[in-house]
Amino acid sequence: MTNASRTPSAESRDLYLPVMAAITDIRKMTEFETLYEITLPGGAELGHQPGQFVEVSLFGMGEAPFSVSSSPTRKGSFEMGVRRVGMLTDVMDRMQLGEKIGVRGPFGNGVPVEKFKGKDVLIVAGGIGLVPMRSMINYVLDNRGDFDRLIICYGARSDGELLFTDELKMWADDPRVEFHVTVDHGSTAWTGHTGVITTLIPGLDLDMPQTRVLVCGPPVMYRFVLLALRSKGVAEENIYMSLERRMKCGVGKCGHCQINSSYVCQDGPVYHYPDLKGLQEAL
Amino acid sequence: MVQYLLEDSRVVDFVSHLQACKTVYAPHRKGTSSFAFAPVDDPTAVVLDYNRTLHSVKKYFLPPTETLLSFDLRTNEFTESEIVPCDAVFLGVHSYDLRAVHKLDHNFRQENPEKNYLRRREEAAFVGVSFEPDAFHFSGSVGIGSRDSSGFDVFLTRIAAGYILTAHTPVGQELVDGFVMPEYTGDLPVPPGFKQHIYVPQDKLSEVFEHSYRNDVWLETAEKCVGCGTCNLVCPTCYCFNVEDTVEITIDGGSRARTWDGCMLRSFTEVAGGEVFREESAARQRHRVYRKFKYISDRTGEPWCVGCGRCNQACTAGISIVSIVNRLVNDYDREVVETA
Amino acid sequence: MAKPRVGIFDFTGCEGCELNQLNFEDQLLDILGHVDIVEWREAMDGQVDELDIAFVEGSLSTPECITRIHEIRRKSKVLVALGACAVQGGVNAMKNTRPIEEVREEVYGDQKYLFPTLPALPLSAVVKVDFAVRGCPMTQIEFLKVFTSLVMGKAPIEPDSAVCVECKLKENECVVDKGMICLGPITRMGCGARCPTFGQYCNGCRGLVSAPNIEGMQEILVEKGLAMDEAWKRLQLYNANQLEGVQR
Repeated sequence: MTNASRTPSAESRDLYLPVMAAITDIRKMTEFETLYEITLPGGAELGHQPGQFVEVSLFGMGEAPFSVSSSPTRKGSFEMGVRRVGMLTDVMDRMQLGEKIGVRGPFGNGVPVEKFKGKDVLIVAGGIGLVPMRSMINYVLDNRGDFDRLIICYGARSDGELLFTDELKMWADDPRVEFHVTVDHGSTAWTGHTGVITTLIPGLDLDMPQTRVLVCGPPVMYRFVLLALRSKGVAEENIYMSLERRMKCGVGKCGHCQINSSYVCQDGPVYHYPDLKGLQEAL
Repeated sequence: MVQYLLEDSRVVDFVSHLQACKTVYAPHRKGTSSFAFAPVDDPTAVVLDYNRTLHSVKKYFLPPTETLLSFDLRTNEFTESEIVPCDAVFLGVHSYDLRAVHKLDHNFRQENPEKNYLRRREEAAFVGVSFEPDAFHFSGSVGIGSRDSSGFDVFLTRIAAGYILTAHTPVGQELVDGFVMPEYTGDLPVPPGFKQHIYVPQDKLSEVFEHSYRNDVWLETAEKCVGCGTCNLVCPTCYCFNVEDTVEITIDGGSRARTWDGCMLRSFTEVAGGEVFREESAARQRHRVYRKFKYISDRTGEPWCVGCGRCNQACTAGISIVSIVNRLVNDYDREVVETA
Repeated sequence: MAKPRVGIFDFTGCEGCELNQLNFEDQLLDILGHVDIVEWREAMDGQVDELDIAFVEGSLSTPECITRIHEIRRKSKVLVALGACAVQGGVNAMKNTRPIEEVREEVYGDQKYLFPTLPALPLSAVVKVDFAVRGCPMTQIEFLKVFTSLVMGKAPIEPDSAVCVECKLKENECVVDKGMICLGPITRMGCGARCPTFGQYCNGCRGLVSAPNIEGMQEILVEKGLAMDEAWKRLQLYNANQLEGVQR
């Protein structure tokens, strides 16, 4: 602990001032989810990693965290998938092309992509968990030579709630991707796999020591996916999980996202599973 | 270091002397039996013999409510708020409260140094004063004595005739320059003892807390706790905050402000969609105490509680962090004996 | 965009909350600039068929009240409860602690059959309430917050922490330290801790926080020297409806 009573602030920054960025595309994905393309002033790069998030604000409405859904390899703008669950997202739903929103970030640690290079990448995404995972998927596709197999397991509640349907089709048709999709309850038109996401895992053909897994989904999903992965023989140290929730200030100050000793906005949202095991409140 | 004698009869002159150099903040009486830091207007209103102030000096560096920016809804543009450094003397600060400021320095400097706090804080000078421990102080147990002058620019130690004054930094020397006092050559009387204690050091506490996650004390405390958040809000090392936008009735503008928040409040962990991820009062109680003795302490090696006793004194339900910690230590020791 | 059409209604209560709306001297013109008030018994005549926002004061205490609140709900897109009576039943709900026939007899004597009466209910016991402006009377600052939110098309943020929070933010001396019995620890904030700031104890007029520890609060009151039934009465003053089923 320092004894000096004076503390130079020269290296300190404005942490809470947003950059005003324009909405340059709006794509309605489902009844509740919309994909926004955001362009920073002068087309500046956000400079993010897959798995990172931004804080979005609308003046008068407040601020909330959103995962970046586009890969850093896609330049000039970035995308966020937004589910309408609260005040801010309700208002965003009414926004028009060209309108400006406040953006801070990117925040969080992001996916440790180096740990996945040269490995088989298995991505398990449930529901809205595909939004941040899409960043990693496209990152792998755009740097295809750096990774071995790309296996995607994606589950949604129903076929009407599937996100990025155009891209799902592309992944399904892409010989470089092993794509598996399931819905909990299919409509009469659904011809694919039915069942919760864990039912996809036993049938996977995995090269165990070679596989690195990245999991993202609603809180209830993690425990069951973990069980399925463990009984498949995936080692704990090869599992990474993204906890997509709870962040507020994004810079490790406000305290809201803290789970035990860990700030999700600093140490997460992507956790190495062995580290997460010690955090009793995490899963 | 030269020791001077600041006689009781000259304290008011000393306050006036400081006022001639800078703005001075010092403890004043508040209400029937409380004290609070306030800018000094009348030097005779300053109280240096006090048990503790309602809030620590934290309130000047991290204000209870702070406007971060103002926005114009017609143009969708914002103006950042000016951050004015506290170029002032904080007089009559107790050792534990300065230590708490140092802890906040750490929190606001690490990872992402925060301009708002650090700018406000950087010009501040501190004149400390010793205190007589009351029934709630326990800073001695976390390594902060009642006469601990570390970090102060000037320190005043209470003796019968007045205060022994020592200047510890060039800034402190400058503050005292020109104020003539006799040198003090007498002995230093033995400091009064603390009336309550945590009986083990932090490294032992880290071990105890490692094993106390499921202790019954959390549930038992939750039965008494009404979740008002007072313990967080009076704590000099709590720094959590919430950010909210307010719109003027004209609906053409407004402001974004941050306000002190606390992990004991149920809504603290509410996320979009309504889920409260630390729903149980017992879990919140545990989180608060672990934040003071485990989570940050494991990274820094120090307790993050400074033993000021505010949380205990202000709790209407009489919940004592000292009792909780000692209970955990006792339970842990008994368990170790039983399993040995 | 057309201005929202607003109606203001009253049920069983002192009408103090409504009067408070007329007291917005500095803001009344701004308020009227954003909305059209189309129905308000206290200030105008007539009724309308459709409303964007209904502000409703008072508790429901007669069969006629029940019919009328359903009508209001049917014709309103958003319904906002104003003040303690509408939000949690208020002081009127104290009568609910006694048999209803006994209450009727005491008030109306042998004429009681002319005045059908129900236990005093908050609006939310009968219809869906979208938002609440709490307090007895409702606080103007909070009304303006809810009002601006609704006009902007966003859901107002309802504070759900204790009055203690606002006292601490103001660095008030705790009135409990002055020997008073204060309900601040379990009463919902939003008033700016007005009473304690002026040296008075909090009597719980804004209703309780969600998931209140009422048993814990009783213990505090008793610990501070109130007899158990006194403590219970203090809690009943504004929150009789919330105490049902609580261990005494």
